[in-house]
Amino acid sequence: MEIDEFRRSLDDWLDQHEHVLAADHAGTDTLDDQMAQLAKVKRLTYEAGFMRWGWPERVGGLGGSTLLRAYLGETLTSRGLVEPGIYSLTEVLAPTMIDYASPELAATMVPRLLRGDETWCQGFSEPGTGSNLASLSCRATRTGDGWSVTGQKVWTSLAQYADRCVLLTRTGGADSAHRGITALFIDMHSPGIVVRPIETMHGAPEFSEVFFDGVVVPFDRTLGEEGQGWSVAMDLLPYERSTALWHRAAYLQERLQGLLQAAPPGELDPADVGEVAQLLYALRTRSRSTQRRLAAGERLGPETSIDKVLVATAEQALFDLVADGLAASVDLGDDPASERWRREFLYSRAATIYGGTAEIQRNIIARRLLDLGTDR
Amino acid sequence: MDGEDRDVFARSLRHAVETHSGEPLDAALLDLGWPDALAEHTHEAVSILFELEGSAHASSSALDQVLACSLGLEAPLSAGFVLPPLGRWCPPGELDSGSLVIRGLGSASLLARETAVVVTQAVNTEVAFLVPTPELILRPVRGMDPELGLVEVSGTVAKGALRPEVVSPSWPAAVAVAQLAMGHELVGAARTMLELARRHALERVQFGQPISGFQAVRHRLAETLVAIESADAVLSAAWEDGSPTSASVAKALAGRGARTAARHCQQVLAGIGFTTEHEFHLYARRVLVLDELFGSSRSLTRELGAELLAARRLPPFAPL
Repeated sequence: MEIDEFRRSLDDWLDQHEHVLAADHAGTDTLDDQMAQLAKVKRLTYEAGFMRWGWPERVGGLGGSTLLRAYLGETLTSRGLVEPGIYSLTEVLAPTMIDYASPELAATMVPRLLRGDETWCQGFSEPGTGSNLASLSCRATRTGDGWSVTGQKVWTSLAQYADRCVLLTRTGGADSAHRGITALFIDMHSPGIVVRPIETMHGAPEFSEVFFDGVVVPFDRTLGEEGQGWSVAMDLLPYERSTALWHRAAYLQERLQGLLQAAPPGELDPADVGEVAQLLYALRTRSRSTQRRLAAGERLGPETSIDKVLVATAEQALFDLVADGLAASVDLGDDPASERWRREFLYSRAATIYGGTAEIQRNIIARRLLDLGTDR
Repeated sequence: MDGEDRDVFARSLRHAVETHSGEPLDAALLDLGWPDALAEHTHEAVSILFELEGSAHASSSALDQVLACSLGLEAPLSAGFVLPPLGRWCPPGELDSGSLVIRGLGSASLLARETAVVVTQAVNTEVAFLVPTPELILRPVRGMDPELGLVEVSGTVAKGALRPEVVSPSWPAAVAVAQLAMGHELVGAARTMLELARRHALERVQFGQPISGFQAVRHRLAETLVAIESADAVLSAAWEDGSPTSASVAKALAGRGARTAARHCQQVLAGIGFTTEHEFHLYARRVLVLDELFGSSRSLTRELGAELLAARRLPPFAPL
């Protein structure tokens, strides 16, 4: 399947099934609505085959270039059928399972994620572990029944909906840093897990605190080897900065389009509009070359931090422009469209914080791309 | 041009650009067959040469050849070429009741030419006039960047004696290629500034350690690389899609990116970068002027915004 053929048949299919795919709820959508919509779109696109292209056959895919996945997410996002952030979690977690889970486990689990039967989350950050990921302390201990996990995670996106979690745990000594980390694939319905959603400033409880108290995890749910968790995490991050980011770029473009149509005449300064469009242009072309490298089988690395800086910068610049051009709507409007612009503006403030802060990205660029040595 | 040919071509150009500038560089480019490569492999000939000129702080009249080639004029061009005025990309000639009014810039080689091509806005199209240079007022510019060898061109010439030649393809298409050339030169200059600042940061010791260890310094340099790489990504995409909009976005990002590079790198280079004992100032001067050729980042950005506001829609760009 070539990208052009895929594009044509997917676009045709989406046109024909517009009414079935459209969201069922009216007005301002809640996170519950968005999750229900996501599951529906994933199921329908999986059944029609589109969701399976670009994934290996051994995990229920149909093979073909990763560009097919990139285009699927791009078009679902631009048509407003899915919220890009929650859609793209698949792009981050499925490759991790394919690379690190046992072949049997990956073959059983990945199709469930692709089909929308299950939601998965990613348990990385902890109250004492933000930018310094290697300092994590959620502990996994070997017992006769398997690993026993005790500790706490925070900022775990969609944990309250999740059936599974890719969890980073400390299995080495307290000072083993990145060497003593092990990744586990945990059943979120296991006894001993408590999830507490966190209310955010943009109004959606997108992430949660998760507490683990003696949670038993079978040894065959270890991702990679014991002590290999750091590699699992480091290999996952470039996915977050490639395909997921390509989807986000498509969403930002669609929102700039929306702004051009919604802004009252004279409210937007042409110089500001031009600058935001240029930032999106740069993001899109940079991300496209990353997509092409990924499709060519290249291993992605620290250079994707540049992509991440570009997306965060563009997102904040776009919504700064929204706050200027649609001030009455963002500040005073209580209709669904205003609610959405306001929510998106507020969410954009997190773009330089989540997935590695703007500062961490610049540290990576300085150390790994400019070869400036360590900063300590 | 395949990989190996491209490498050989790039190596010989690098040697020429690193050892010559100005007229000797023009002669070296002719020897290397660069004008032929320009006609056959425009993308490689332009991107490689101009990035090298930018990084080596060399200048030539290659831009004249690029414009002549894009406009389908005889190559290599034996006449000079009048470039648009500072900050703009409009044709340098204007017809005003029987006279040709000229306002623009030129490269140093124009002083030695007998005639100059002046592209002029006519009704719905552009025409090129071949104007004898004695009819023009040519002022060699020192200004911000004396080594760039710019010439300010002005004059009013009676149209009667001149024979217009219809140019095809259009001026906007030629402007697009010139903007890409300038974009590559800006990126080349910005990369050199970054390398100068990076090396300085690793060598300069304060508080018992190289200043490259300080986050304030590291982040400025990281920011510079981001600006350069985003311009570079759009330059490549613009060659691929060939649209004037992409070229103008690429030029604007390269111009703004190079100014960002100059600001951060000058701060990192601090005292030594402020002196003429260090080569940084040459690049800072150059990028300021290059940003103004064929549309400044400021004016191109504003034009793009105005177009989008009028159309109320984004053109589709960069498909997978």
